[in-house]
Amino acid sequence: MESKFTEAAHQKLSEDGHESECDKIAHLLDLMIDGEASTEEQSYFNTHIEECVPCFESHQKQKLLKGLVSGHLKRVIVPESLALSIKARIQETV
Amino acid sequence: MSEQTGKQLSKEEKDARFEAELLPVLDPLYNFAYRLTLDEDDANDLVQETYLKAYRFFDYFEQGTNAKAWLFRILKNSFINEFRKKSKQPAKVDYSEVEGYYNSDDVEGEGGVATTTDMRTESVQDLIGDEVASALNALPVDFRTVIILCDLEGFTYEEMAKILDIPIGTVRSRLHRARNSLKEKLEKYAKSMGYNS
Repeated sequence: MESKFTEAAHQKLSEDGHESECDKIAHLLDLMIDGEASTEEQSYFNTHIEECVPCFESHQKQKLLKGLVSGHLKRVIVPESLALSIKARIQETV
Repeated sequence: MSEQTGKQLSKEEKDARFEAELLPVLDPLYNFAYRLTLDEDDANDLVQETYLKAYRFFDYFEQGTNAKAWLFRILKNSFINEFRKKSKQPAKVDYSEVEGYYNSDDVEGEGGVATTTDMRTESVQDLIGDEVASALNALPVDFRTVIILCDLEGFTYEEMAKILDIPIGTVRSRLHRARNSLKEKLEKYAKSMGYNS
């Protein structure tokens, strides 16, 4: 049975000293999770991770990491007095 | 800078415009200051200083442009130029202190009730949040900064480049290194969640 996943093939590409496809994907990871990838980069990325388990997993992990910060880091509460003292100091300013 | 020149505005009008355009950024700005200084008093001073500077240069601010990025840039520069030297050593923060503060009953009656109640509802959420906070606080300030700007405040790479005065390429590589570092710190926690690194 033909393997559904071809990660081994992708990783071999780096032998000639060029960036392997998986390396290129690794460089796009942040762009993808931050919504900064171009349409071309997105489709290149998505096509690759459909058939490459390690890259698919890296993508999941990177999304999880971003989600931990955006979804779980508590916001501190601004002291009530701060806005008032800013307004007061501005009014004093000529 | 804009069609109506600043000179035409009375002080009252200028103040009103200033408050309307820039004060809505107070919450994210204070949070950013807190994440940089890891100290509430320092964050308070830094934010005040930022607004005073912004007021002084308000004539150069183009109405309708990105007020948030502008203020973040001023705050970041203040932090680097003056604040970092005189602020208390921000190496460690006792996060339990912050926790204690927000869970205490003293804050009730000061308008913070709804939020504080929110914060203690989900103890599991709290645990994750604490873990993330201490991992983040343990990062060098430059790493912490890019993660806050990107993941918490949702700035684009281009906005981050302007706020930090560095090329976009540097934003990308710094963010990448920052995330690797954060990942390392969270590894132990992640493993306990069944997330094998």
